[in-house]
This record gives sequence, C-alpha cells and structure tokens, in this order.
Amino acid sequence: MSQYMLMFVGNDEWFEAQSKETLDKAMGGIMAWWDDLEKKGVIKGGEQLARQRTATSVKRVKGQMKVSDGPFIESKESVGGYALIEVEDLDKAIAIAKSWPGGDVEVRPVVEH
Amino acid sequence: MSKYAFLFMDDGVDYQTDPTPEQQKVYADIFKWFEVNGPKIVDAGAELQPTRTATTIRKSTGKVTVVDGPFIESKESVGGLSIIEAPDREAAIAIAKTWPGYGIEIREIVEQPVRKV
Repeated sequence: MSQYMLMFVGNDEWFEAQSKETLDKAMGGIMAWWDDLEKKGVIKGGEQLARQRTATSVKRVKGQMKVSDGPFIESKESVGGYALIEVEDLDKAIAIAKSWPGGDVEVRPVVEH
Repeated sequence: MSKYAFLFMDDGVDYQTDPTPEQQKVYADIFKWFEVNGPKIVDAGAELQPTRTATTIRKSTGKVTVVDGPFIESKESVGGLSIIEAPDREAAIAIAKTWPGYGIEIREIVEQPVRKV
C-alpha cells in the first residue's frame, strides 16, 4: 500500500458566487464521499482550508523570513483542502480523485519516512 | 487554540534526488524543526514527492480528464503540509518564521461539524 495526497483545488471567486443552497448541497455530497472512504480505511486524514484570501505567507528573502498577507503563489486557484489516502497504487489514487464530488484535484505521491 | 495548515513551499528543490550539500543541511534542519515543534503539531500530514510526479484530474470543462503534472505550473510549489495548533495567527506566524526551508503558506482550518462515522 502507498500513500497519496489529494489536493482539492479551490477558487475563492467561485465559492463566493454560489448560493448557500448550492454550497450546502455540494458539502452534503462531499461529506457522504468522505465518510464512505473513511469507513473503508482509505482516507487517513484531511482538512478543509479557509479561503485563499485569508492566507498569510512567510517567505525567505535574502536569508530573512518575510511575512505578507495573501497566498504564496498569486493565482485564482489554490489548495482548498486535502485528503491523505492509502491505496494500492497511483491508478487507484486517480480513480478515487475522479470520484471526488468537487472540482479539480492534484494527486501527489507521499515521501515514505 | 486554533488549527492552522502549514503548506510548506519549495523553490524547485528536489530533496529526494541528488540534493546539494547545502540542501541536505536544510533537509536535516527541517527534521530538527519537526522534533522541536512536535508538541504543536496535531497532524504531521505528509511530505510530497516533487511536482514532476503529480497527476491532475480536471473537471472544469465538464469532462473528466487526467493529465500528468501539477495543477499550477510554477517553480514554487507545495512540498508538504502539517497541521499546527497555536493560540492565534500571530503565534502561528512566529512558528512559521523559524522554518528552515524556503517558505510557508499559513491557512486556518475550517472546523467540520462533529459527525458520527
């Protein structure tokens, strides 16, 4: 078995343009998906992140750590949440990412320590 | 106390393949950082393999497509993440400033309603 990180792509603008009803419905679908995979032992951990515009970034510039408001990479989209999963191989991880009820997903293998 | 996701950002470094002596030192310092900050880390999360190993599933076009590579092509990328508990954002920033690596994006966690699994 191997661990993979599913990084769910979030978009503040999209999120804020939706009605509460639409978001509640989407969240319901995500919760059902999550609970099922957690029960099966596939999901080992994960969280939903607050919106990108609430981020604080700390970056090394000429040896000094500089603090700034906002995300590290300026982009409309960023990580909105993640799930750490344990499955047989990358194909299985991709299949699970495809079944995610939300939007786009980046799948990354985890470094085993 | 609040929970914050620390997204550890890399500047194109690949610690897993042929790191320079300087990068090896940073990597060793990162291990020490995790030891020192152990009590504040509520979920160690994961270190990720480099972005060249990424696969992206795109649905925005209405059709599901699977492509090799990260969602955002950028020299800077998320190299790992952990969940830290701190009294407030200022405290979280103070911890982040001690990170031996390139940088950290701090994002508060959205607490989910308690549910029975």
